[in-house]
Amino acid sequence: MDTHITLPSALLERARKLAIEHDQLSAALENDFDAKKAKRAGELSRVANAVKELEKAKAALIELQGLLESNDAEMRELARDDLEATNAQLAESSHNLSVALTPKHPFADMPCLLEIRPGPGGLEGRFFADSLFQMYKAYCSSKGYRTRIVQYEASDSDGSTGSEGEIPLQEAVLEVQEQGAYGFFRGEAGMHRVQRVPATEKSGRTHTSAVAVWVLPSFPENGTSDSEADWDKPESDFYIDPNEVRSETMRAGGAGGQHVNKTESAIRLTHIPTGTTVSMQDSRSQQRNREDAWRLLRSRLAQQRREAREEQARQLRSSVLANSQITRGDKIRTYQYQQDRCTDHRSGLNTHNLPDVLRGGETLEKVMDSVQNWLINKDIEALIADEEAAAAPSKKKKGK
Amino acid sequence: MPRLPPSLFWKARREISPLAASLLPACRDLQSTANELRWIKEHVQDTKSPIPAKIRVWRLVEKRAKGIPLQYVLGTQPFGDLEIKCRPGVLIPRPETETYTLHLATLLTQSHPPPPSLSILDLCTGTGCIPLLLLHSLQTTLPQTTPITIHGVDISPTAIALARKNHTHNPPPSPSPHHTLTFTQHDIFSPTLLSTLYPPNQNQKLPQIDLLTSNPPYISPHDFTHHTARAVRNHEPRLALVPSPTQLADGSNSRYACRPEDVFYAHLLEIAKAVRPRRVLMEVGGWEQAVRVVGMVFLGGEGGKDRGGGGGVGGYEVEVWRDEPAAAAASSGATGDGVERVEVAGREVVVRGVGRGRAVYLRLRED
Repeated sequence: MDTHITLPSALLERARKLAIEHDQLSAALENDFDAKKAKRAGELSRVANAVKELEKAKAALIELQGLLESNDAEMRELARDDLEATNAQLAESSHNLSVALTPKHPFADMPCLLEIRPGPGGLEGRFFADSLFQMYKAYCSSKGYRTRIVQYEASDSDGSTGSEGEIPLQEAVLEVQEQGAYGFFRGEAGMHRVQRVPATEKSGRTHTSAVAVWVLPSFPENGTSDSEADWDKPESDFYIDPNEVRSETMRAGGAGGQHVNKTESAIRLTHIPTGTTVSMQDSRSQQRNREDAWRLLRSRLAQQRREAREEQARQLRSSVLANSQITRGDKIRTYQYQQDRCTDHRSGLNTHNLPDVLRGGETLEKVMDSVQNWLINKDIEALIADEEAAAAPSKKKKGK
Repeated sequence: MPRLPPSLFWKARREISPLAASLLPACRDLQSTANELRWIKEHVQDTKSPIPAKIRVWRLVEKRAKGIPLQYVLGTQPFGDLEIKCRPGVLIPRPETETYTLHLATLLTQSHPPPPSLSILDLCTGTGCIPLLLLHSLQTTLPQTTPITIHGVDISPTAIALARKNHTHNPPPSPSPHHTLTFTQHDIFSPTLLSTLYPPNQNQKLPQIDLLTSNPPYISPHDFTHHTARAVRNHEPRLALVPSPTQLADGSNSRYACRPEDVFYAHLLEIAKAVRPRRVLMEVGGWEQAVRVVGMVFLGGEGGKDRGGGGGVGGYEVEVWRDEPAAAAASSGATGDGVERVEVAGREVVVRGVGRGRAVYLRLRED
């Protein structure tokens, strides 16, 4: 995180307006209590406090700067000592303000599922899919996050392994069971591009392949009081009407029962309204496969519903912003082996320690942090755009 | 069994591993070959042994390649939340059995009012999988103080020994003095069955049984040689699969004039008539057998009254359950109200779920 964040002026303007509204509401509430107003005041208090903190820090800074020009040497000394602390406070309060203004992503506090799938094309993409899988696994273990491999399937096109012993991955799902993992990893969703000379390439040409990473919210295994994670409630994104799901056990034909004794534990679930299907056959236990399939289906549907809503919101906003929105089709990051470089196309960060990135080390964290910052800025921009879009029609009405 | 094309062996060797090619004849397709090889490797990883892992994997693969069922090779089969030990000589628990057992447990716990106590009898228990899973599910959903008494019976001493092992292998999440599960070795055709299980008290009355379950042998000798998988035929006990006349050497089988594969149902219905359990569930081998068993419930065995089998078993609602009894009925068979029905002996019977005919379920009408 930067030590100093400069807030966009439009945002500061908005924050001041909200603070004024908060003060007016509090004044009105002193005379006459109104539940609606009290609720709005409560919502605004976080922003109002953050604005006040910021103004205080700014005032202190101005005062200190006045003292620095004082003739008294002792006074200047004291002011210099204070300056650093005040600057830090200013940075902190402007960060707090931006956080207070940014709506929190509704899934941000949840654990997540990382789904990794090679893009269309050859073996090379599959090997790299495994590299990414190992990268996230290593990153999680270095951060101390608990993980579970939900699915790890090798493709059946070739038995060879990559130069680093990767397997050709067809599909992998890694669950990061840490609370808030969705918030940390949501910036990882999208197409990851790799450029390198594959182990199988004889004439030394560089190949470009892509791997898709999807980040899905996962609900904690132990029920929480969080309404978003409570999948029994129809208003939750995770809610699925069991009547809308067709569950199939994938068994061979024939009489079944005592006539056969093969382990046939595969389960396929189909959500009929959306046509989303999930099949699971990793475990010998059909119970375990069924539970995993349900979890994955819930996560996929919740993500789909969220994306549909975001898409709607996006269409309401200006077209300028629409271009910078990421969807899962866009290339977000490039791993360039020859140049030992990892570039994130959103934050624009270039790093030059690719092995450390792929080990899930500090360099990866740096890249992920830059994306987090980028996401926050995007969210704030979207927020301002929403405000403006909301303000525009009301002005028109007034004009009439 | 059709011959596998050599190209498939090449594919298995190249795409999975050389070990896979040797598993292929037993598994028959690439997907299950890959799965079974992974499960064997996971099993070796999860169990400790001084022998190097590679050698152990190789040995297990070799066993499986001989056609021995994976459950005997690894010694276990997951069943609901339980891990059931499997040994040659005792039938391996099937996924269909798991599905209806879990559905039964749901029915028992969701009944209104909640049962004040439960008494369950499982005949032909084998590994003990049905009573163990019922007990496990009921323990986790019913109040700790609800008394649960379960008896499992099997003619085979090997099965009873294994069932007892399975009982200690799957300890309850929280032990309660109100729950008892006992396994008894007994021939269910013997007239002393009920008096052994429920020693008569002063009232000379049998206790009320809430549920009678059974997965009896139900395959005809012809189907056994022609329509069972080789791994079943060669490695699982015939005693658990085919009702055998020699097993009824006391001549008791002549009481029932039904088809040889239905003998156990005739006898189970006799027992049901005597003890009047609130619910009865019998696994069957397919749709035709399900319909025959429903007919026996209504009319008695094919021989009718004069053969000593008596008339049907009155006072019960009868249902046929398919493989997935909880699933919504297939649209083709369903009538206007979404419930599938079939007519047997002039009476309509409700059919639940989707898949093959898997069980016949009786529920005592409340007077």
